[in-house]
Amino acid sequence: MATRTAAPLAFLLLASFPFTGLAQEAVEATTVGGYGEVQYSNHSGMGTPGEVNLERFVIYLAHAFSDRISLRSELEIEDARLANGSASGEVALEQAYLDYRLVDAVTLRTGLILVPLGILNETHEPPTFNGVARPDFDHDVLPTTWRELGAGVVGHLPGASVVSVRLYLLNGLRADGFTAEEGIRGGRQEGQKASFANPSLTGRLEYGRPGLKLGAAFWYGGTAGQDSVLGTGAFDAPLAVVAADGRFEVGAFQFRGEFATIHVGDAQAINSRYGSAVGSRIAGGFLEGAFNLLRPIAPASRQTLLLFLRHERFDTHAAVPVGTARDPALARRITTFGVSYKPLWNIVFKADYQLRRNRAAQAQDEVFALGMGYQF
Amino acid sequence: MSGTSLLLLAVAGPPARVSAQSAPQKKLGAALDRVFGPGTRADSLALDGVIVLRMFRGDELLGYAQVRNVKGKDQPITYLVATDTALRLRDIDILVYREAYGGEVAYEPWRRQFRGKSPADSLVVDRQIRGISGATISVNAVTAGVRAALASFARWRQDGRL
Repeated sequence: MATRTAAPLAFLLLASFPFTGLAQEAVEATTVGGYGEVQYSNHSGMGTPGEVNLERFVIYLAHAFSDRISLRSELEIEDARLANGSASGEVALEQAYLDYRLVDAVTLRTGLILVPLGILNETHEPPTFNGVARPDFDHDVLPTTWRELGAGVVGHLPGASVVSVRLYLLNGLRADGFTAEEGIRGGRQEGQKASFANPSLTGRLEYGRPGLKLGAAFWYGGTAGQDSVLGTGAFDAPLAVVAADGRFEVGAFQFRGEFATIHVGDAQAINSRYGSAVGSRIAGGFLEGAFNLLRPIAPASRQTLLLFLRHERFDTHAAVPVGTARDPALARRITTFGVSYKPLWNIVFKADYQLRRNRAAQAQDEVFALGMGYQF
Repeated sequence: MSGTSLLLLAVAGPPARVSAQSAPQKKLGAALDRVFGPGTRADSLALDGVIVLRMFRGDELLGYAQVRNVKGKDQPITYLVATDTALRLRDIDILVYREAYGGEVAYEPWRRQFRGKSPADSLVVDRQIRGISGATISVNAVTAGVRAALASFARWRQDGRL
């Protein structure tokens, strides 16, 4: 029976909200979510049996203290368990930050924050990317999952609401962890008693519209960690990262790419101080194309079956400082092709084949991999 | 201040009892003005516990509107669904977005894909509705929410209650 009412608007708003509790109460709400992935991989060659690993199991926990203030966190278990004497396995916080939504366009953020470089570092739930393993580029050049402690602001550009911005002041990297093979990866502090000797600035501009997202991002900060040999200034042994990425979807096709160049200032001093062989420039990227086979075959289906091909090229020795020999095996070319099947948008089954090459033609191999992943 | 929000405020009195997860009245008024034009008035129907606004200019019925919430990754997204008298979508609007990532669903280029859709139309992400990378959860949530709102309008219309 239709009832004509002259209810006050506030009542209208309250009555129509299933999430709403009593009026005048600040509604607190806790949400649990998560993602995870299981991976099977088999390297080519004799004596390399396949291996299955519960790569990641992540619990997402969020709490809204009020309509404007919320906590978001991700607790990750890698490799299923952590036991005494076991070399692998890790329990770590991937994110843990407070958001204060000041106005619609501006949110203040503080805590353990994801560095906004590239695509995968912020968006790494398994159904969001093709390939069983994350791209190697997102391991050796942009070191996912890269998170540091600090504070900043996220929001939209005034007058151009399709452009979003993130700008953070975070603790810096530590040059003593840099390596030839994995670049800056070992320099991350990840929220553990992190030295704030070298505060670093990082930011991202992002343009988004249906089917298209373009991002440009940077990181700048010192890495000396108050090691008197490298310098005690905030910006001594400076590290500069510039990255760009794009995602484009048209019809049944999906394309994405990531590119980054990293300048390691004082690489020569870092190498002589720590006996390492860090490149003075680390650079590369990948391009990926995918085709949703179900789109022409079963246009009414909500499922997705993606065939994809990705080509990565990167070199952690794109340039080397005086005194460091350039290692051609670090100039890597990795081609991956395979399928991603998503019965629902948040569940994925993957299979792929990877050709792993480098300029030195040393220790090259091929990998067959299967994977399962989910998010909720 | 515009006609609709003046009228709504006049009906509502001082905005004292707005809960944590409701839409600000000013924002709702502005959204209704944007969709239906200024100088409208609203009355309401309570249908299955949902308040449906009927929008008029003078005595002419312009269409219907509902304010709903749908859960995103961890927070409710408060959105407006507005139709014409034939239940075709005039527009949707995001009234309050509280999530950490995915605010692109509030962008006009994404929202405008819904205009003209009716309850009979299929609304599937990556088919009729193009997604936005990095906003997957919000895109799926709002699209499902709009489907649910249109289905409810169609049900009430079929029952002769709307």
